[in-house]
Amino acid sequence: MTWLIWRQHRTEVCVLGLLVGMFGIALLVLGTQAHDLFPGGPARCAGPAGVDEACVASFRRLDEGYGYVENLLAAFYLVPVVIGAFLGAPLLARELEDGTWQLAWTQAVPRTRWLAAKLAALAGVTVTLTALFTAVLTWFRQPFDAWEGRFQYDAFDLEGLVPVAYALFAFGVATAAGAILRRSLPAFGVAFGAFLAARMSVALLARPAYATPLTTMRPVPAGGATADAAHRPVRSVADWVIERGYADASGRRLSSTEYYQLEDAANRAGTNLNQFLHARGIQQFGVYHPADRFWTFQLIEAALFVAAAAALIGVVVWRVRRRVI
Amino acid sequence: MTETEFALRTDGVGKRYRKGWALRDCTLNLPAGGVIALVGPNGAGKTTLLRLVVGLLAPSTGTVEVLGHDVTASTPHTLSRVGFLAQDHPLYKRFTVAEMLRFGRACNLRFDQGLAQRRLAKLGIPLDRRTGTLSGGQQAQVALALALAKRPDLLVLDEPVASLDPLARHEFLQVLMGAVAEGGVTVLFSSHVVHELERVCDHLVVLNQGRVTLTGDIDALLAEHRLLVGPRTATDPDRAGAVVEAVHSDRHTTLLVRDGGLPAAPGWQAQPVALEDLVLAYLRRPSEPSGAVTSEVAA
Repeated sequence: MTWLIWRQHRTEVCVLGLLVGMFGIALLVLGTQAHDLFPGGPARCAGPAGVDEACVASFRRLDEGYGYVENLLAAFYLVPVVIGAFLGAPLLARELEDGTWQLAWTQAVPRTRWLAAKLAALAGVTVTLTALFTAVLTWFRQPFDAWEGRFQYDAFDLEGLVPVAYALFAFGVATAAGAILRRSLPAFGVAFGAFLAARMSVALLARPAYATPLTTMRPVPAGGATADAAHRPVRSVADWVIERGYADASGRRLSSTEYYQLEDAANRAGTNLNQFLHARGIQQFGVYHPADRFWTFQLIEAALFVAAAAALIGVVVWRVRRRVI
Repeated sequence: MTETEFALRTDGVGKRYRKGWALRDCTLNLPAGGVIALVGPNGAGKTTLLRLVVGLLAPSTGTVEVLGHDVTASTPHTLSRVGFLAQDHPLYKRFTVAEMLRFGRACNLRFDQGLAQRRLAKLGIPLDRRTGTLSGGQQAQVALALALAKRPDLLVLDEPVASLDPLARHEFLQVLMGAVAEGGVTVLFSSHVVHELERVCDHLVVLNQGRVTLTGDIDALLAEHRLLVGPRTATDPDRAGAVVEAVHSDRHTTLLVRDGGLPAAPGWQAQPVALEDLVLAYLRRPSEPSGAVTSEVAA
């Protein structure tokens, strides 16, 4: 079976291995240069210590020299779906397309064993390739994470455990779609669509609700507070702010219309806006998840996608066992 | 007879797809040894029946027993005793012939690679060619060599020669019959072509619209059936129950009867029936096994 699986899927494995290798090496080269900007390591500059002058200089040079790479990295959120769907789609669909399922399942290897071996091998390749790529990417992003935290979409979605879970999910969707549609290419398309839909809805709707967010509330400082400071009511940049705004003295949140009315009133009165708001007891609030919830959130999201993958693989196994195919 | 003397036993087997029943109430007892032909028009349920026999499909009703074992168990042992050649003889198109043989060796308990290599060498099929670049006839031969190298006790072939040109068809049947002559293998194959069956087969199953309409040993079937030609009548009253088909022309009536060769009534002439005519008569019958077909011939 090992030889057969390798012979049938070596093209996909080699192409993906080559792509992951190429991007990985490029990131390693660029990453070494970026890490060299931080003599004591990027971790030293994270958090409140990041205000130190040497660190600020390092961050500036990092942004000038490698900021463009960071922007490109955002496109890598597609890497797990490419790996998972590329390996999963042909697993059953190609046999069904070419009629070779009738050949494969009338040899002396029972079809459940055939399927188990294929699923294990290709899911294994999916996990290995995605994990390798994620490890390199996580390391590459260390200096950027020190500056921006790990909770933003371009960090959280590319680092840690979740990319592997996304890849397994894509693998499951592609395999199940291949079993049902009996065609590789449509199965790949379905996996792509399902991946984007699931990822987007989970990231935007489910992820903020994995835990109850914390809220800070403090009065608008009377004077001297810059607009920038006014927009940073939260303690650390690494926290994940999901909502911020103004509330009145009783803590009731103001709608944007109410806020603009206040702003207009301040302008008409010719007073400084902050003093105007301070005088009325207006408070700033921020709703956020603290940075130390990173791993908890990673675990929850990874479990979610792995469970979905397991359910899809279960459907495939059920169909093959019951000879629905 | 002990149960292993049957190559195939089915009991009340039916298979329903989403569109409806492809096969209904199919009960067969086919002996081991020899060649069994499964005949029927396109869409009669031949492929469904053969896929049930090799365990690719599970029956919706009834049981399928091959060589004394329930096929749905699909143990390596039962799988290794049955060879299957699907319609259009699928192969992995990007494998070389040698890799196809390696596939056979990797996936079987008793794969006779030497036998397959000898067969292919005799046919002049190079081992280093990709199967996708071979001709249709050569692909069929590779698929057959693979199936035979399993040394199966039952070899099942779905329309094995339907897509082949006459020369390739002849060569294929020659190899197949050579393998049968070497002994030990029961062959079950489907076909919608009726002629030449007599030369090749020992046993016949006629399938029409998902039902078995005729099954039996070919010599016995030919002995039981005959044509009676006589003056034009509605039917021969004495033999109403035995009439399979009645054909009326202006002055004559030709009856196909299954009466085991009773003496013909006065004024009637008895003739033997050709296998092809026998099969066609059963295929023209309506799927419900009731009553004979009556047809008018213009001249």
